[in-house]
Amino acid sequence: MKNPFFEFKDFRPKKREIPLDKIIASKEKVMDALIKAYDRLVEQEAKELVWLVSYHSVIRAYANAEKSIKDMQYGVEDIEEFLFEIENPSRLPYPIMGLCGLYISALCNHIKEKEIVLDLQNKNINLHLLGYRLPKGKRLIVYGDLGDFTGIGLNGGELLVEGNAGNWTGAGMRMGKIVVKKNVGRRTGEDMVGGEIYVEGKILGVGNVRYGRIYEKGGIVSP
Amino acid sequence: MKQIPKSTWIKIRKKHFFPPLPFPKVKKGQERAALEIKDKQIYIDENFLSQISKKMQENDAIEALLDHAIAHYTFCPWDFATYLKLYAEAKKVSKDKDIAKRATDYFMDVVVDTYCVKEKESNIPSLYKYMEKGKIEQVMCALYQKIWGKDLNVSGFDELVRKLMRIPYINKKRWKEGIRRFTHILKPLLEEQIYQPASSPFGGHRSLFSKDSIDKGLMELALSSSSPQAFGELVNDFKEELKEKGFFGNEVGRGRGQESMANILYYMKLAQRYTLSLKKLPEKKSGSIYPHSHSPWEIEKPYQDIDIWTSFGKFLPGLTQVWNRREGEILYLEEKVPNCLIIIDSSGSMTDPRRNLSYAVLGAACACEAYLKHGSKVAVYNFSDAEVGGKYLLPFTQDRIAIYKSLCKYFGGGTYLRPTDIKFFECDDMDIFFITDMKISNFSDVVSYFNNIENRVTAVHIGESIHSQRFALSVSKKNNISLYHVQKREDIPKIVLGKVKEYLHQAF
Repeated sequence: MKNPFFEFKDFRPKKREIPLDKIIASKEKVMDALIKAYDRLVEQEAKELVWLVSYHSVIRAYANAEKSIKDMQYGVEDIEEFLFEIENPSRLPYPIMGLCGLYISALCNHIKEKEIVLDLQNKNINLHLLGYRLPKGKRLIVYGDLGDFTGIGLNGGELLVEGNAGNWTGAGMRMGKIVVKKNVGRRTGEDMVGGEIYVEGKILGVGNVRYGRIYEKGGIVSP
Repeated sequence: MKQIPKSTWIKIRKKHFFPPLPFPKVKKGQERAALEIKDKQIYIDENFLSQISKKMQENDAIEALLDHAIAHYTFCPWDFATYLKLYAEAKKVSKDKDIAKRATDYFMDVVVDTYCVKEKESNIPSLYKYMEKGKIEQVMCALYQKIWGKDLNVSGFDELVRKLMRIPYINKKRWKEGIRRFTHILKPLLEEQIYQPASSPFGGHRSLFSKDSIDKGLMELALSSSSPQAFGELVNDFKEELKEKGFFGNEVGRGRGQESMANILYYMKLAQRYTLSLKKLPEKKSGSIYPHSHSPWEIEKPYQDIDIWTSFGKFLPGLTQVWNRREGEILYLEEKVPNCLIIIDSSGSMTDPRRNLSYAVLGAACACEAYLKHGSKVAVYNFSDAEVGGKYLLPFTQDRIAIYKSLCKYFGGGTYLRPTDIKFFECDDMDIFFITDMKISNFSDVVSYFNNIENRVTAVHIGESIHSQRFALSVSKKNNISLYHVQKREDIPKIVLGKVKEYLHQAF
C-alpha cells in the first residue's frame, strides 16, 4: 500500500535571502542607533520627561545632540524614517517635540547631503526648533507645518517651509534665508542679527529685530 | 476555452501547503486585470494568458498568477479583518477612500509577491518582466528590481524606490506602519493616476472575501473602533461591496428619521460578540393522574379502580387488585424561551448611539440577539417623551434589521414612559427587558406598573443615580424583577436575562 503521507516526506520550504533582507537589516541598525542616541538625549535633558526651552537649555541640548550623533553614518531617508518613528510609541516612547526638533536639526546639520527634504504632511507631529543653526550651504525643505522656534539661530543655510510656522520663527538668526509659504506666528525674527525671512502668508507679529529683513507677502515689514 | 493543467494546480497547492481552495478556472474577463478572485474561486483572464504566453511559457505564467492569488489567502491579507486594518491605516494618511483602496491593493501585492519570491521560489519576476506596465506598475517593478535583485526591464524612479525599499514588507507585525509609509510615499503618484481604470495589474481585492470572513472582519472592526462614527466612516467606504454581500439592505437610506446602516451594523456586530445568559421558562406538569401500579383491594377502597384483568374476575379483598394513580410526567408547558419586549430609553440624558457607544443600545442589542437565537420574537418600545409622541413601537418580529433600526433610534428629548403603551404588546409569557438611566419624569407610574405585572423583567440601569436606587428599593420585594447596573462595557455580559429570584430560592 502506498504511504498516503509520502508527499510530505522531506518536504521543507526553501528559505532564500533576497536583497530586501539586507536593506532592512542595515536600515534597522541605523535606526536603532538613531533611536538610542535620541533616548540618551532625553535622559540627559529631560530627566522628569519635561523639557523647558530656555537660551541655555537649547544650547546645551544641541551640544549633547551633536555629541550623541558623532561618527554616525546615516542618510536623508534615515532622518525621514526617524520622523515616522516619532509617531510610533512602541519604538520611541518619549517623543518630546522640542528635543526631537533639535535632534533632527543636529542630524540635518551634520549630514553629507546639501539638500534635505522632509515631508511632515499627514503626520500627527508638530516639531519645534527645526532648522536650528542650519549652516551655510545647506538647504532644508519641509513639507507641512512646523511649530515654534523654527529656524532659530540660522547660520547661513536656507530653510523652506511649505506650510505654516509657529511663534519665534527665525529668532536670533545670524544669516541665511527662511521662506514660509503660509503664515507665521508672533515674535517673528526676535533678536535676529542678520539674514532674511520671507513669509508668503500672514505674520501674526514681528519681534524686536536688530538686523536683517522680514518680508510679508512680498512687502518689507522690518526694518 | 483554455484549461489549467491539473499537475500545475497540484504543484502549486503543495508549494503553498495545500490551501483549501477550489480548482482555478480560466475565463474571458472584461477588465485589464489578469486575475479575478471571487470568494475563494480564482479566475485567470484568458486574454492576459494568451498575450503573456507570447513572451514566456504559459505554464510559468499560470504558476505565477496562482502563486500570487493563493498568497492573498495564505499570507496577506489572510482575512477581511486584516484588509480593513490595512485600509484604515492607509486612509489615515491619504484621507481619500479611492487612494486608500488603491494604496492597500498595491501594498498587499508587494507583500504577497515578495513573500512568494522569497519563500516559494515563484515565477512572478518573469511575469512582471514581460507584462504591460502603467506608471505605477513601473514604479513597483523598479522597487521589485531592488528588493528582489532581479532585472525587470525598468529604469528610473530612484527617489521613490529609495524610500519604498526601506519598508519591511514581509514582517506581519510591521504592516500597519509599513502601509502608512507606503501610502505617504506613493500618495502624489496615486493622486495623479486616480482616473486610470484598474487599481492593480492583478485586479482589486474586494471580492476576495467570503460572507463569513466579512462578518468576522466587521465584528473585529466594531470592537476596535473608538466610536460608531469611526466604524461608520470605514464601513461606508465599502458600501457597494457590503451591499453585494447582503450586509446593506436596499431600503435603508441616510435621510431624516432613518438610521444609518453603518450604525446598525456597528451595534449588531458588537452585540454578536457578547453572549447573554438566558433562563428559559421552567416546565410545568399538567396535574393529571394516571394508573401507575397495582395494590390489593380492601373493603374501604373505591371499586371503580379495580383492574379486572389482573384480578382474574374475582372480587375478594386481598386477591382483587386496584390501580394506584400518580401524577404523570405529561407536561402542560414545556421549558421554553418566551418573546421579549425591549423597553429602551432614548431621552436626552442617554448617550446618542450615533456619536458614541451607547451601552443602552448595546445592552438591548445583546438581549435581542439572545432571544432571536432561541427563535423567539422581539418587540421594541423606544421612548423619550412618550406623552408628546417621542416614542417608537415595533410589534413582535424576528426581523433583525427592523429591531436594530428601532433600537438605534434616538429622540433626545424628555423622559416619559406611558405604561398604557406597553399594554399594546401584551401577550402570554412575555419577558420584558427594560434599559434606562431611570431618570423618568413619571417615575412612580413606572414603578407601580412594574409592581403589578407578573412577567419576568430584566431591568438595567445605566450609571448610578438616586433614581436607580429608588427603583431598586421599590421593586426589591418583587421576585420577577432582576436589576442590573451597567457602568462600563464589561458589565453587559454579566446580565442574565429572565433570571427570576424565585428560581434561586428553589435551588437553595
